[in-house]
Amino acid sequence: MNKHLNFLLTSIGNILRNKVRSLVLILCLIAVLFPFVTALSISEGIKFQSLISVEEGADIYVTSDYFGSNAPISLDYLEGFRKMDGVTKVYPRIVGRTYFVNRLATIVGILPENIPPSIRLAEGGMFREKGEVIVGKGLAKEFLLQPGVRFSLSINPSQLFRVSGFFDADASIWSANLILMSFEDAAEFFQMKGKATDILIYTRPGYATKLAEKIQEGAGTSSHDRPEPPLRVQDKTLVKRYFQRGFNYKAGVFTALYTVAFALAIPALLIVSGFGQTERKKEIGVIKATGWQTQEVMEMVALENLIVSLTSAPLAVLLAMVWLKWFNGAFIAQFFIAEIGLMAPFPVPSRFLPLPCFLAFLFAVVLTMVGSLYSTWKTATIPPVEAMR
Amino acid sequence: METIIRTEKVDKIYYQGRPEEVRALNQIELEISKNRFVLIRGPSGSGKTTLLNVISTIDRPTNGRIFLYGEDISKYSDVQLSRIRQKTIGLIFQNFNLLPRLPAWENVAFPLLPLGIMERERRKRSAEMLIQLKLEKRLDHAPEQMSGGEQQRVAIARALINDPELVIADEPTSNIDAESIKTLLDILTNLKNKGKTIIVSSHDPVFLDYSETIFLLKDGNLIDTKIIPPTPL
Repeated sequence: MNKHLNFLLTSIGNILRNKVRSLVLILCLIAVLFPFVTALSISEGIKFQSLISVEEGADIYVTSDYFGSNAPISLDYLEGFRKMDGVTKVYPRIVGRTYFVNRLATIVGILPENIPPSIRLAEGGMFREKGEVIVGKGLAKEFLLQPGVRFSLSINPSQLFRVSGFFDADASIWSANLILMSFEDAAEFFQMKGKATDILIYTRPGYATKLAEKIQEGAGTSSHDRPEPPLRVQDKTLVKRYFQRGFNYKAGVFTALYTVAFALAIPALLIVSGFGQTERKKEIGVIKATGWQTQEVMEMVALENLIVSLTSAPLAVLLAMVWLKWFNGAFIAQFFIAEIGLMAPFPVPSRFLPLPCFLAFLFAVVLTMVGSLYSTWKTATIPPVEAMR
Repeated sequence: METIIRTEKVDKIYYQGRPEEVRALNQIELEISKNRFVLIRGPSGSGKTTLLNVISTIDRPTNGRIFLYGEDISKYSDVQLSRIRQKTIGLIFQNFNLLPRLPAWENVAFPLLPLGIMERERRKRSAEMLIQLKLEKRLDHAPEQMSGGEQQRVAIARALINDPELVIADEPTSNIDAESIKTLLDILTNLKNKGKTIIVSSHDPVFLDYSETIFLLKDGNLIDTKIIPPTPL
């Protein structure tokens, strides 16, 4: 026990004595780990926010089904759905995309009475008259929009809109590039009169699954025949699963990119951890000559690496926190949130979970161990006289 | 008299099988008795250091066998050789090989770390050793803050900290001044008197008067052995 304590204390002493080498190694590790921790935190933050959105949303989403994809649904279905047992509320929605100058914006058309009460405005008021819209803070900031400003959009340039207000900057990331307007204005803009992109159904607790099955089987439809095209019914569980899959995919893409960077970092760290290796090699030769065994040398070096990792990983997590708080996750958030550029115009959501922090520590350990244990072992197993040369 | 070291047809060949092959030791056969002052002499490049390295187990012979207390150690594992160096052999290198960032006492105490001896005791033991070698004012000095002679005494203290049977010194007078040479001879003589076996490799004639066994090397061959009856030192 005393022997291992001696090695631990000597390792700490070695790190403090080799200040430059230790500092360079810690900085390199932080540079490798901090983007990883930041990215995973953003991914978790977005995932969490999206799941909250889904949770607060409708219980069932109904669209038409064209070759397995969502397609516009006729408003004729509304009445049939409203009459179904267990349904508390039904309303149509139009969700589409267009370019606001060069920025991809999401257009949501909704009846004013169906606007969720949780929506907060930073400035101006809710749309009341035809052509009035609420604009996301991201778009407003980028294009210097003010309440009362008029604009048109690329698909239907003849239709004029007027900014009536902005969403709160702290609202969910989905609202940053959003243009919220009345259902009629959206239907006119996309030239889809009498249709919605989806119908949202709210149900009493415990009814959703059964109702979704019934709608899929054709209940609630007013026509005598089977609806043509068939309906595509998605309940909350399914929507959650889609979100989850989407984020896992994005996190997967980032992880793949990170793995490449990680692979490149290993040789870089090999060089860094080999910084002062000639002196180290001689030291190992000397201590072997004085009676140390290879495993004892390895233990001391492994402890040094462990201490360096234990220092680097929390610093990387801390830097990630600072980066997210003060720099809003710049450069990294764009991997997860489409169309935001280097600096997101809204607060990037993040969530620090224990697993990414632990992974950061684990990566630090792997990197430092790979960087130095092999060279140490190689030096310690040759005759000491060769190591001392 | 008990034999502590015996070599049997020891070869050391560098770059074996290549055009630049060097035969540093050739069929060396020698025997060293316990508690003798042994000098290995020879001109530069004769193989003195190589022979010391092989005897002290910090290098392996290409061929031949080395016996320590009658035990063939030439095929010993890395772990076994480390144990021998820890318990039986104290090494003093020509260029001292002190760890540059450690103060004198820590350099001396470094071999005690794997033995589980805690810092207070390590410091006590190394201080005692350094005081014996008249370095009481240099305990906390880094090697670069000391003279060559002082550094050598730190290296001697490190070699002796585990109380080895065999003290091996490679060219110990080559990096120190005349006064330090005198101190060194006193130290080695004292060690010899305490029952240690001293093996020194040097071409410095200063050791001739102190040595009881002299091996003369030339071009890697042992060309002469002189066994001198012990004289009062």
